[in-house]
Amino acid sequence: MGLTSRHSSRFTPIDFIADDTGLVARVQALLDDVEPDRAQMLEALHRIQHELGYVPKEAIPFLAAKFKTTPAMIYGVLTFYSEIRTEPPPRVEVQWCSGPACLLKGSRNIRLALEAEFGCGMNESAPDGALGLRLVQCDGTCHLAPLVRLNGRYIGPLTVTDAIQLARRLKEEARRA
Amino acid sequence: MAKLTINGREVEAPDGAPLVEVIKNAGIFISNLCYVDGLPPYAGCRTCVVEIEGMRGVQLACTTRVADGMVVRTDGEEAKRMRQAALSLIMSYHSDRCLTCHRIVKCKPGDTCLRDGVVTHRCLTCSKNYRCELQTTCEMLEMAGYEPWEGEERTYYTTPQPEPDRANPFLEFDPQMCIICTRCVRVCDEVRHTGAITLAGRFNPRIEFGAGGPVHESNCDFCGSCIDVCPTATLMEHPNKWAAMQTERWVPTACTWCSVGCSIFLGIKGGRGVIVKPDTAGNPFSRDQLCVRGRFHYDFVRPHQRLQRPLLLRDGARQEVSWEEALEYAASRLAEIREAHGPQAIGFLGSPLMTNEENYLLAKLARAVVGSPNLDSTAGPVARAALEAVREAFGTPVLPADLTRVPKARTLLVVAEDLESSHNVASVRVKDAVIREGARLIVVSPRYGELCDFATVWLQPRPGQEAAVLVSLLRSLARDGGAAPGLPEALPDPEPEGVEAGELARAADILREAVRDQSWRPLAFVYALPYLAPEHVRATAAALCGLAVLCLGDEAPSCLYVLPQEANVWGMLDVGVAPDLLPGYREAGSPADQGDMERLWGTPVAGGPGSDVWHMLQDAGGRLRALVVMGDNPLFFLPDRQRVEEALARLEFLCVIDSLDTATARLAHLVLPDSGPYSKEGTTTSADRRVLRLHVAASPAGESRPAWAILRDLSLRLAQRLGLGEVRLNYARVAEVMDELAEVVTLYRHARYQELDNGSQQSWDGLSPRAARVPTLRLPANGHGDGHLLLTSRGLYTSYEAAALGLEDADRLHREESLEMNPADAAALGIGPGDLVRVANDRGELVLPAKLTYGAAQGTVHLPLHYRGGAALSLFGPGEPAASVRLSRA
Ligand code: SF4
Ligand code: SF4
Ligand code: SF4
Ligand code: SF4
Ligand code: FES
Ligand code: FES
Repeated sequence: MGLTSRHSSRFTPIDFIADDTGLVARVQALLDDVEPDRAQMLEALHRIQHELGYVPKEAIPFLAAKFKTTPAMIYGVLTFYSEIRTEPPPRVEVQWCSGPACLLKGSRNIRLALEAEFGCGMNESAPDGALGLRLVQCDGTCHLAPLVRLNGRYIGPLTVTDAIQLARRLKEEARRA
Repeated sequence: MAKLTINGREVEAPDGAPLVEVIKNAGIFISNLCYVDGLPPYAGCRTCVVEIEGMRGVQLACTTRVADGMVVRTDGEEAKRMRQAALSLIMSYHSDRCLTCHRIVKCKPGDTCLRDGVVTHRCLTCSKNYRCELQTTCEMLEMAGYEPWEGEERTYYTTPQPEPDRANPFLEFDPQMCIICTRCVRVCDEVRHTGAITLAGRFNPRIEFGAGGPVHESNCDFCGSCIDVCPTATLMEHPNKWAAMQTERWVPTACTWCSVGCSIFLGIKGGRGVIVKPDTAGNPFSRDQLCVRGRFHYDFVRPHQRLQRPLLLRDGARQEVSWEEALEYAASRLAEIREAHGPQAIGFLGSPLMTNEENYLLAKLARAVVGSPNLDSTAGPVARAALEAVREAFGTPVLPADLTRVPKARTLLVVAEDLESSHNVASVRVKDAVIREGARLIVVSPRYGELCDFATVWLQPRPGQEAAVLVSLLRSLARDGGAAPGLPEALPDPEPEGVEAGELARAADILREAVRDQSWRPLAFVYALPYLAPEHVRATAAALCGLAVLCLGDEAPSCLYVLPQEANVWGMLDVGVAPDLLPGYREAGSPADQGDMERLWGTPVAGGPGSDVWHMLQDAGGRLRALVVMGDNPLFFLPDRQRVEEALARLEFLCVIDSLDTATARLAHLVLPDSGPYSKEGTTTSADRRVLRLHVAASPAGESRPAWAILRDLSLRLAQRLGLGEVRLNYARVAEVMDELAEVVTLYRHARYQELDNGSQQSWDGLSPRAARVPTLRLPANGHGDGHLLLTSRGLYTSYEAAALGLEDADRLHREESLEMNPADAAALGIGPGDLVRVANDRGELVLPAKLTYGAAQGTVHLPLHYRGGAALSLFGPGEPAASVRLSRA
């Protein structure tokens, strides 16, 4: 998809963006010395994510101005790369494997169970921001399929009941914390 | 040209044309759900497969280019099977129950679906039913009964679907219906150069607007182009979405909301407009593009909000009266005043919102029936100031420039306050040149408009210093030893405020290169006229003409595009609505030209120069006793509001012909209801002098009549009272007015309706450029006091008609209801985003919310002209390009 080209010599959005949380200033500082060259776009996204843990919505107009395109085009790029987050990461993140072995062993039901328990969709955080789900690819631990990853640990093979119990335990822990 | 055979038929097509377009143009059906005519193929839907002799398997028609001798079959069994398979995949993520059902012809929207209880989204309950490309494609490919997944679980019906976005007034977005053909994304990006839509996500791709929020929070400007290409009901016009399903007929007509003059089809149901589509074949400039005004403003004022019957002010109250009474009253009042004070006591205001025929009849009523030369329009002074410069440069007021050359230009200089908002489709064409031809663009504008984002150089002078910028450029180019007739020895050296010397030098270099190097030509100079400050307009136009002449010599007039604001400014002047012009640019005050008119009209003509609009207002109550206003609205378009209002109140008789109860009409003694732009026949003349036909589309409101008929009846009655015998005033049809106009004004010689319908256009015999010289360069003084400068210009979204009526939602998007100011200025005054600001000077004050943007230079603020019925102009003095104001937090 072609990225709409703009030609202005301006590298910041034309409209003033209020910065109540200081987030905008941080984004701007991070983008300051990035070359306005489309090849640098992914680098810029990674840099922001590295510093802030995610790429906030507030950064989109600045990225659009820097790379001389429109917010929609930046959003398209942003959502294309699954490793780029658009929301702050949850404090606890359950990573659900989307690989084929897990799928064959019924990971879809596990996903549904987790989504229902957490009250959020895949790659989202629950409203309180404490718990979240993330879709990941197979990393070769299929003997544990169907599995989830939690803080670098592999938990599997899981039944739907296991998944529900796990989710409830995490919720309880989050509530107490 | 290539000769090829399609399904056994011989077809000729340009070599290398996309096969899919050639097949369609030959009138043969081919499914092509992701192709957009004129854009590079996307090759995503795979429904366009055909068989080509000599090639293995099947080919995509959208990626295949035609070649001589090609033999193509669209009706082969294999291709058909593959198309069905491709389509069935697409239908797996679309509501498909009706599409594969035999019963669809019998089903009614209320009926329960016999196949599936859960199906709520289906063709029969869809607003696109029977006007849907996906549906037609399914029918043509005989998908009824084609269900390879029968018995399987369908994810479409089990997964929760995203909510539709109906939060804005124009465009409905229902992602559930989307088949991810990406046509909308490509059109918004590659045709509009707006880029408001994107394909988001990799694993579950979906269409999203802006940064993933609602449509109205994106940079979408609601042109509706994506609606036109969407093959499903995902993107739909919000107004009259359901009524438009029953469109009874499509009437070709023209948009009258700016001088670009886009051609439209207005869809009519029950006598009312319900939908607009671009008349793609009818207009070589607008083609398949419109802006939000052309597409949606038809719906801002409903028939019942227009004037229905003549209104007569009697004992301080307005009463509805019959046409007979109203016309008699008007004729008798005008006759009395003429008798008592002479013909010059009666003045006339025409309007660029009215047709050529109507303005012509007004000129005739003034000069030939009443015998008064006092004839102008609020749009007159600015337009004539520009023409004065053009005439001095080229010996004619008529520029032969053809806007269809703009998208092919390689270097462009655009002088405009915000072309994107004032002349939207022209702005799209300038972007075409930048994006497609790699053109360099110089924008001269005191404030930001979207076009600035496409500019190689944006020169942002203080308001009123546009001419100074152009003269500086001229000076820079003349220093190279460039010569042109009329170029003075010593050019002024104005040093425009706000413009950096480096930027100015860069702009001069761009022009210099265009002069030197053929590959940077064609060159185009575009000037969008503002609403205000004739003296500045003259200076700017003169400097621009001079620059064009210096760069291009005799070619200059055909590369210079002067775009007036309103739709029919040129036409209005062509037919003689001006104090110093007789029809056809004959000169008022020239005995020869007067004699000419008397011969043509067969009656004595008041051929001298008359008073312009300002002088008429000044004389109101004194030498001027009566004013006939047709379609004009001085209390909207003129600065110095208070004086205008007082002047109008001093008149003995104010007669307004309009379809709306405007501020001016509310002061009138007599209001005669015109039927409005969508309910009359006539012509308007666009910025590049194409004559556009208006047709009667919607039924006129109440007893309203087209203004041409009102003027005819009034003229006839008046002529009878005054004992005028010879002059022709009776026309059965408006076509007869154009027939006469074609005799009187050579520009319209070939513009009789029959000829227009066959594609004929203006002929500038006798009015083509005679010279190319640098006109006199006079820079107006900038006598601004302290404080901030308030600028006002046309916004994109606010409907003139709704604003003139003072309707609350004249700007349904609420994008043009705040004061734009620079964040630094705001900070200094302690004003935050959205805070209320008081804008005041000796003339008055306004209080409205602030919008902080770097698009306003420090020291200037901006307010859209149409905000609250032209409220901004109440702070302006006559002739000022910007008003000095004091700002404070309210
Ligand atoms: S978009 Fe077209 S195919 Fe889909 S439900 Fe509506 S009418 Fe039917
Ligand atoms: S309406 Fe026009 S600007 Fe808005 S998304 Fe559609 S094509 Fe783009
Ligand atoms: S919204 Fe319409 S045009 Fe856009 S991708 Fe979906 S179906 Fe295609
Ligand atoms: S560009 Fe002008 S003529 Fe065209 S649709 Fe918009 S307002 Fe109407
Ligand atoms: S598929 Fe889940 S771990 Fe391999
Ligand atoms: S039109 Fe050819 S693949 Fe879609």
